[in-house]
Amino acid sequence: MFTANTTLMLVATFLPLLGALVLLLVPKDQRRVFEIGSLLVMIVSFLMSAVFWFGYDRASDAVQWAQAWNWIPSIGVKFSVGMDGISLLLWLLTTFIGPIAIACSFSAITERHKEYYIWMLVLQTAMLGVFITQDMFLFYLFWEVMLVPMYFLIAIWGGPQKLYAAIKLFLYTLAGGVLMLVAILAIYFLQHKTTGVYDFSLASFHAMAPVIAQQTKTYQILLALAFFIGFAIKVPMFPFHTWLPDAHVQAPTAGSVILAAILLKMGTYGFVRFLLPILPDATKMLLKPFLILSLIGIIYGALVAMIQKDMKKLVAYSSVSHLGICMLGLFALNPYGIKGGMFQMINHGISTSGLFLAVGIVYERRHTRMIADFGGLSKSMPVYATIFMIMTMSSLGLPLLNGFIGEGVVLMGAFQAFPWAAVVATLGIILGAAYLLWMYQRVMFGPITAVNEKMEDLNLREVLYFAPLVVTAFWIGMYPKPIMDVMDAPVRKLVEQITPGYHAAQSLAAQQAVAAKLGMQGMVAPAHHEEAAPAGHEAAPAGHEAPVQEAAAPETHGHGGGH
Amino acid sequence: MTGFAQGLLDALLRDTHLITPQLFLMVVATLMLWPGDLFFNRNEKHRWAPITLVVLAITAALIGRTPDGEGFSRMFRMDGLTRGFEMLCVLGTAATVALSVKLLNGLKQQTVEYYALILFSLAGMLFLCGASDLISVYFSLELMAICIYILVAYLRDRATSVEAGVKYFLLGAFSSGILVYGISLLYGAAGGTTTNLADLNQALALTPTTSNLLVFSGVLMVLMGMAFKVAAVPFHMWSPDAYEGAPTPITMFMATAPKAAALAAFLRVFGAGLHGVSSDWVLPLCYIAGASMILGNVTAVRQESMKRLLAYSSIAHVGYMLLGVLSGDPRAGAQAVWLYMLIYIVMNTGAFAVVIYLQGKGEGERIEDFKGLGRKHPVLAFAMMVFMLSLAGIPPLAGFFGKFYLFKLAIEQGFVTLTVIALLTSAVGAYYYLGVVKEMYFREPEGEAVPMGATSVFVVTLACALVLVATAFGPWLVDWASKVTWV
Repeated sequence: MFTANTTLMLVATFLPLLGALVLLLVPKDQRRVFEIGSLLVMIVSFLMSAVFWFGYDRASDAVQWAQAWNWIPSIGVKFSVGMDGISLLLWLLTTFIGPIAIACSFSAITERHKEYYIWMLVLQTAMLGVFITQDMFLFYLFWEVMLVPMYFLIAIWGGPQKLYAAIKLFLYTLAGGVLMLVAILAIYFLQHKTTGVYDFSLASFHAMAPVIAQQTKTYQILLALAFFIGFAIKVPMFPFHTWLPDAHVQAPTAGSVILAAILLKMGTYGFVRFLLPILPDATKMLLKPFLILSLIGIIYGALVAMIQKDMKKLVAYSSVSHLGICMLGLFALNPYGIKGGMFQMINHGISTSGLFLAVGIVYERRHTRMIADFGGLSKSMPVYATIFMIMTMSSLGLPLLNGFIGEGVVLMGAFQAFPWAAVVATLGIILGAAYLLWMYQRVMFGPITAVNEKMEDLNLREVLYFAPLVVTAFWIGMYPKPIMDVMDAPVRKLVEQITPGYHAAQSLAAQQAVAAKLGMQGMVAPAHHEEAAPAGHEAAPAGHEAPVQEAAAPETHGHGGGH
Repeated sequence: MTGFAQGLLDALLRDTHLITPQLFLMVVATLMLWPGDLFFNRNEKHRWAPITLVVLAITAALIGRTPDGEGFSRMFRMDGLTRGFEMLCVLGTAATVALSVKLLNGLKQQTVEYYALILFSLAGMLFLCGASDLISVYFSLELMAICIYILVAYLRDRATSVEAGVKYFLLGAFSSGILVYGISLLYGAAGGTTTNLADLNQALALTPTTSNLLVFSGVLMVLMGMAFKVAAVPFHMWSPDAYEGAPTPITMFMATAPKAAALAAFLRVFGAGLHGVSSDWVLPLCYIAGASMILGNVTAVRQESMKRLLAYSSIAHVGYMLLGVLSGDPRAGAQAVWLYMLIYIVMNTGAFAVVIYLQGKGEGERIEDFKGLGRKHPVLAFAMMVFMLSLAGIPPLAGFFGKFYLFKLAIEQGFVTLTVIALLTSAVGAYYYLGVVKEMYFREPEGEAVPMGATSVFVVTLACALVLVATAFGPWLVDWASKVTWV
């Protein structure tokens, strides 16, 4: 019935907003209407988005289903949409988490139902918008709009410290956002200076990379820092993470789920989409500090998670650690690293949502999240214990489950680029296994108290909203290839943008290694059949050495060209 | 002698078509005072409000029909800049009048003088928007300001109102003195030949370097005088007290129309008149703008009175708008300032309309009075939330759009540090604006809901709709703004 096209993409994106407008007209006391109505809207939106999974052309690295309408022509703002594999995955993750977040709210939300579901729907559209926009102005718009519903979700339906947590989240992200805006405008004017046109489109920003590379070092570093701080706050990377534990602990379960699964991904998405391709040189200049911050995040997040007494806080700090791994992958700047980072984003979305949902379940039943209050739950809640186990294992990276793939690929990429960083990250992963298992053990095993003995196991609704997460965790863990395929071409393009000639140099090096083994080194140069022949010749004499640095010599290789 | 008088009369009559709106306003306002006032008895004075609104509509039509030109020995010019800012002044005034009725009725303080003073003040603003000579700038400023001094002290049986009026008047008179002294210094520095802005610009360019100090002190004093009128830091001391003491519609009035007029004068004096000596004023103005943003936003955080909060926030907004004045490209600066002012007037009108509504019930002065408004008045609270978020500059609301244009221009002109300050302080701004939202939605209400008056509903709804859709209609706004220019 549906085919993947721009119209359907826009419908799937704006359907939640439309649903919110319709629900606005429903009288306040119709609790069921809000619950079922918003769930239906989310499910329909998800089904529509699923069409794009099948319709996506995996061979192409172009932005697909792209279309643009003039909005403010005098300053070059277009309503421009489209997706490549990277945006598609996160867009799908968003529509996938949407129904789950609604379904887990039915019993948790006990007051002001109308506002709650309306805000959830508005938030959904804002988040989906971020991933489909191909215009910097529009991106900034969606990025900031998202804050308002999140602010309300935490501040109305949150825990005891909700107001403080909500305003902290709001101000941190806003401050980061405005710095990003300055950087966007600076590039916008630089572009006008060099090309004479005013254009906010993402493609034109990407095309600015070589021009920016010719600016002074200070200029580039300032630009990169402005972007970095904006995104790092959202990710959040150490030391910008302090808002996260507050927001997570205070937010209602659905809020935590969305925060962990999607909002944090906006930060990492920002790195992939903007910082790396637009400012590759500046990123390389600042790579060491960036890497070190990522590593501190991994270790520090894990250590702090270890000592938490509150389950939700523990999961929140585990996010800091996991996203550190994700950032480490991105900053490896090679295909494995970036793919692993992307994988880690999706996996973190699935497993951390699962953990937050699981914490939400016991909180609803006992109104406490303290680990010390529990024990022996596996006796009274066997189904719950099983699902919790799967989510824990997925989060700590057990083979056959999704987390393993992400962490494994990140470590491969990191090892290629910076072996020392991979070693440190491994330590963090071990710590991750420790704090998660330790929590599981204290909550699920041991002597059971009378109160915990009476706790009800999961009901059908709860099993139903866990089911998609469990299935996906196994699916990605056992057969990650489809997801790998989707991001293959765009990541290849991204790596070329960061390091022009990277793939040519890589395959040449591989050929030379084979040739050296066979003892016929002299025959390689004429024999290789790379399309980007000139770059191959240039890089040939140094082919054996670390290809990242060597292939950076850009004079013969146009930016973003090659393939 | 008669020949000279005849010539003068001819010259005056020849140019009157340029100031028909002003003349119309002054004649109508005079007629309102006498004999108009005789037509309504004590209980019917509120009828003056709709009449004033009709007068304002006619004024707006007259402004639209006035052709471009320059007259009165080049003291007054009608051009895109004048027309654009004059329209803003009329808009702000109309909103004030519409929101005055109910409050003044409640206080039993309806008089014709209130409306007449507003009209006289508006005439002063319209002159100020087109003043192209330092002398006419000064005269129009005084006409505008003296009427407002009286309006601030209008509730004469309230100590705060009178205190505010006196404070405003004393400091205002002092700053006028500084302004005039600055004008005289510039006049002297330019060789004692002219106070016309365009001529002054040329004359100052030719001044020998020895008189640099003279020019510098003149420019600085003019800057101080003008900064006082727009309440920029450090010349803002009067504004929180005056805002708090004045009747709320007048508070709103001060935050909108006179500010638009004063900014028009700012743009013309510095963008056209003193453009050549910009090295003398850019740095001080940078400090003034930066200090206004920082102090305005930071001080607003601590306020408990809604009117003081809006006063400090308006100081911050002036700081943002001064970025447009700083712009090395005065025309683009004028357009960005105009756009911001337009949006600011709409947002502010909406916010004050809500305050005035609550005040009708004896509250609204304190931020606490907004407690639980989301329960009591979902529509009103929603509108207030929209205004607050828009004032904070959250996209896609209108306020963001205005800020975006200003900040874009400032970055283009190389004021990056100042723009970063502006952006970070606007994040501070978000804190106190959200504080109001917090009161409305996250606190339990007290007392009963009271039905709203028709005017308030109309003004709030209209302003809210405008703020909501402004970004979508960005192209039109930009198109309008592009007409705000001078030759």
